Amino acid sequence: MRASRPIFTIKTPWLAVLALAAVLVAPAVSAKPEVGQPAPAFSVTDTAGKTWDLPAVAGKTVVLEWTNHDCPYVRKHYDSGNMQALQKEATGQGVLWLSVISSAPGKQGNVSPAEADGLTKTRDAAPSAVLLDPTGTMGQAYGAQTTPHMYVIDATGTLVYMGGIDDRPTSSQTDIPGAKNHVRAALADLAAGKPVAAAVTRPYGCSVKY
Amino acid sequence: MPLLLILLFLPWFAWANPVTTEHVTARLLAERQSAAPGQPAELLLVLEIRPHWHTYWRNPGDSGEAPRVEWTLPAGVTAGPLGFPYPELIRVGPLANYGYSGRALHPVTIQVPADWPVGEPLALRAAAQWLVCEEFCVPESALLDLTLPTAAVPGLTDPASAEPFAAARAGLPTGTIAGAVLDIPPAAASGGLRLSVPWTGPRPAEVWYFPGVWGLIDHAAPQPWREDAGRLLIDLTPGAASGQADPDGVLVTRADDGRMQSFALSLTVPSVAPTDAAPPLGLALALGMAFLGGLILNLMPCVFPVLAIKALGLAQQGGLSTAARVGQGLAYTAGVLVFFGLIAGLLLALRAGGAAVGWGFQLQYPPVVAGLAYLFLVLGLSLAGAVTLGGRLMGLAGGTLPGGRGHGLAEAFWTGALAALVAAPCTAPFMGAALGYAVTLPWLPALAILLSLGLGLAAPFLLVSAVPFLARRLPRPGAWMDTLKQLLAFPMFATAAWLIWVLSVQTGPTGVALVLTGLLMLSFGLWLRERTALGADRRRLAGGAAALAALAVALWLAVLTAHSIPVAPSAAGGSTHANGLVSESYTPERLAAARAEGRPVFVNMTAAWCITCLVNERVALDTAAVAAAFARGQVLYLKGDWTNRDAAITDYLAGFGRNGVPLYVFYPPGEAPRVLPQILTPASVVAALSPTIPPNQSQPEE
Repeated sequence: MRASRPIFTIKTPWLAVLALAAVLVAPAVSAKPEVGQPAPAFSVTDTAGKTWDLPAVAGKTVVLEWTNHDCPYVRKHYDSGNMQALQKEATGQGVLWLSVISSAPGKQGNVSPAEADGLTKTRDAAPSAVLLDPTGTMGQAYGAQTTPHMYVIDATGTLVYMGGIDDRPTSSQTDIPGAKNHVRAALADLAAGKPVAAAVTRPYGCSVKY
Repeated sequence: MPLLLILLFLPWFAWANPVTTEHVTARLLAERQSAAPGQPAELLLVLEIRPHWHTYWRNPGDSGEAPRVEWTLPAGVTAGPLGFPYPELIRVGPLANYGYSGRALHPVTIQVPADWPVGEPLALRAAAQWLVCEEFCVPESALLDLTLPTAAVPGLTDPASAEPFAAARAGLPTGTIAGAVLDIPPAAASGGLRLSVPWTGPRPAEVWYFPGVWGLIDHAAPQPWREDAGRLLIDLTPGAASGQADPDGVLVTRADDGRMQSFALSLTVPSVAPTDAAPPLGLALALGMAFLGGLILNLMPCVFPVLAIKALGLAQQGGLSTAARVGQGLAYTAGVLVFFGLIAGLLLALRAGGAAVGWGFQLQYPPVVAGLAYLFLVLGLSLAGAVTLGGRLMGLAGGTLPGGRGHGLAEAFWTGALAALVAAPCTAPFMGAALGYAVTLPWLPALAILLSLGLGLAAPFLLVSAVPFLARRLPRPGAWMDTLKQLLAFPMFATAAWLIWVLSVQTGPTGVALVLTGLLMLSFGLWLRERTALGADRRRLAGGAAALAALAVALWLAVLTAHSIPVAPSAAGGSTHANGLVSESYTPERLAAARAEGRPVFVNMTAAWCITCLVNERVALDTAAVAAAFARGQVLYLKGDWTNRDAAITDYLAGFGRNGVPLYVFYPPGEAPRVLPQILTPASVVAALSPTIPPNQSQPEE
C-alpha cells in the first residue's frame, strides 16, 4: 500500500499521447442508433428484389422487425398469432412494416426470397415487405441484437423506439396475454402525437445470427 | 406458473432427479443429508451443459434468457432467489452474452419452518426452465424433485454435493466493495462511462465488470482499465439505456496466479441533476469567466502567501521609468503565464493519462510542498538580510536583493511564477465553472482557458505597472525600503510554516521531520556560504560546495516525503469542530446512504493547502449559527479532504462540473443538490439551508 504508488510516472506522457490519438480518431467510428436522432441509413432488397432505403420510406411511420423463423422467441409470437395481429393492426393504420432477416448464409434463419415469401404465406403474416440482409450491414447499423428486435421510425425519419416487442422476456406463449406490447404502445403514442413513453426497452430473444 | 400448469397436466412428464434433456442434464442437490426445522437448507440447481452450448447469467447480455425455477414446496417452506455465480463473457459475432458453459451452478436457500415435525421428510419440487444456445437456441425445462429427510439438527454434508457446492460458492462474490463510483463524465468527448472501484489488493492481471441489468453498458465493448492511486478505473461504453438502468453488477478479477474472484459493488452515480441542468459553457464565456475568476483570485485568501512578494515587487517599482515598470509588469505576467501553462500542461497530460487529478494537484505532491517551504525560508532569510543571494541563485529565489541592486526582469518573472505556483491552487468564483469546463475540452482550448485565468491573475499588477497615474501613487524608494524588506521576511517565514503544516496533514510526523531536517541543512549550508563569502577563493569554493551539498541533501529529504503516507487520512471516523459541529469523512456511499434515508446533507470539499477553504470553515461553517442550523435540521456534515490525491473526490467535483476546491453543496431531502458560493458567511450558509431548515431559531422541533 505505502510507497508503491508513483505520482508522476514516466509512462504518463505516452499514455497522454495515446489518449490524444484516441480522441482524434474517435469521430471516425460510426455512431450507434439513438432514439430522437435520425434513423441509421440502410439500403436492402426485399424478397421481390425491390430496394428499400430511408428516402423510400420517408413520410411514413415504419416498424422494423428483426426476425429468424427458427428462433423460439420468434416462434412464440408467430405460433400464437401475436406478431401477425400486430402487423395487420399497424399496416391497417398506414404503417410500413418491414421484417428484416440478418442471418448470414448457412446460419439459422437465413432463407432465400422464395422461402421467405413461403413463410409469410404459411404463417399468414402481413409485413409490407421482408428485407434480406445476409451481410448483416443493416442489422449492425441498427445495433440489432436479438430476434425479435423492434424499431419504430416516425414520418420525419427519426428513430422513436428501439427494444423488445413486449415486457415478458420469455419464450413461452402463455406470457403473451398479460404482457405490455411496447410496439403497440409506441405506435399509439405516435398516432396521438405524443412522444413515445417507453422509447428504449430491453430487446429479448435469440442473438441475431450474423 | 404457466409452465408449471402445462407440465402438471402432461401425465407422461414425471418428476425426477436428475433429468436429461437434449442439451442439458439438470439435477437438484442438497448440501446436507438432512434438514432441521427452523433452519435454512442449501440447495443447488446443477445444469450440466453439452459441449459448445451455454446457458445464461441473470443478465444474459445482448440476447438469451436466465434460467428460472418455480417451486412447489410443502406449506411453510420458502425458497430464496436463484443464485448466479459470476458468468463468462461469451462472444457471438458482434454481440456478447453473459453465461455458463460446461456446467451452471445455481444455489438456492430454502427455509424450513420451526414447527416442521422432526422426521417428516420435505418433498421439494422445482419446475426449472432455461434457454440453452450454441449457434441457435433451445428453451428447455425439467421437473426436478428432491426428498430431504429432516432431523433435529442439520445432517452431515453429503460427500457427493461437496464439490459442486464449493465450486458454486467460489463463483459468488467474495464481498462487497464499498465506495465504487460509476461516473458519467459531464460533456465527455468520448461519451464513455468510468467505473472507479477502490482496490487495496495486488494489481489484478485481468478485470471485467458484468452489469446486472440490460442497457447500462455495451456488453460487447472492450473494458480498458488501469490501476491508479488505490482504485481500479474501468472505461465502459454506455448501453442503450445507461441513464435509466440500475447500476448493479459484479466485478470479476483474475490474479496473476490465475485465481478468479468476484465482488459485489456498492455503487453510486455522482453525476446527478446539476450537470444535466447546467448546459456546458461556451468557449468564449469560459474564457471570460476564467479571466474574471483570475482577477477575483487576487482578492481571495489563497493569495496571502504571495501578497508580501507582490507588495515588495510594487514597492521596488517606485521611481522607475514607465518603460522599466511596464517591462517588469510584462515579466511578471510572463512568469504567471509560463507557470500557469506548465501547471496546466502537466494537469492535462496527467488527466489524459487517466490520473484523477485536479486544479491544485501540484500541492497534492508532498515534495513540491516541501520544496516551496525551502524556497520561502530562503526568501525570508534573504529579505531579513541573514544571507546574501547573488547572481543566478537570486533569480531562482525570487530575486529580492537586500541591497536593492537589481530591478531585473528576472525578479519580476519569478515573482509571477511563485504567484502561479502557490496562490492558484484554490478556485475563486467564476473560476470553478471555467476550470471544470476546461478539463473536458481538447488541449488547445483547455490551455487557452487556463492562460486566460493566469492573465486575470496578473492583470492588476500589470495595470499598476503600466498606468502612469497609478504608478505615480507608488511611494518613492528610500531608506524605509530596507525596513520594509526585513519586515516582509516574516510573511515569508509564515508561509513556510503554513506549508509545513500542509505537509503535516499530507504525510504525518515523518514528512514534517524530513522537511525540518531539510530546512536545517539548508540554513546551515547557507550560513557556511555566507561565512566564507568574503574569504579566499579556496574557502569560498568550499563554502559554496558545502551549500550545494546541503541543498542536495535537503532536496533528497523533500523527495522522501512522497513516501510518507499519513497513518489515517485525517481521522476517518469523523471529527468535532468548534461550536459542537460534527463532521464525517466524505465517502460516496455515506452520501448515498444518507440521501436514501431522506436526511439533509452538507458536503464540504476542502484541502489543507486551500486557504480560502480554511477561512470559510473558520469564519462561516464552524460558527454557532451554522452548528445550530445543522443540529435543527439533523444535517449530516460530510467533509472531503483533497489535501492528498483522492479519485473519489475528483470524481465528485467533476459531477458538479468542477475541478478544484472549495466546493460546498447542500442536499435537501428528495431535491436536487444546491451549490453554495466559494465565499461563505454564516448568514449565507443558513440562508442556503432554508427553506429545508427554517432560519428561525425560536421554533423548537417537535
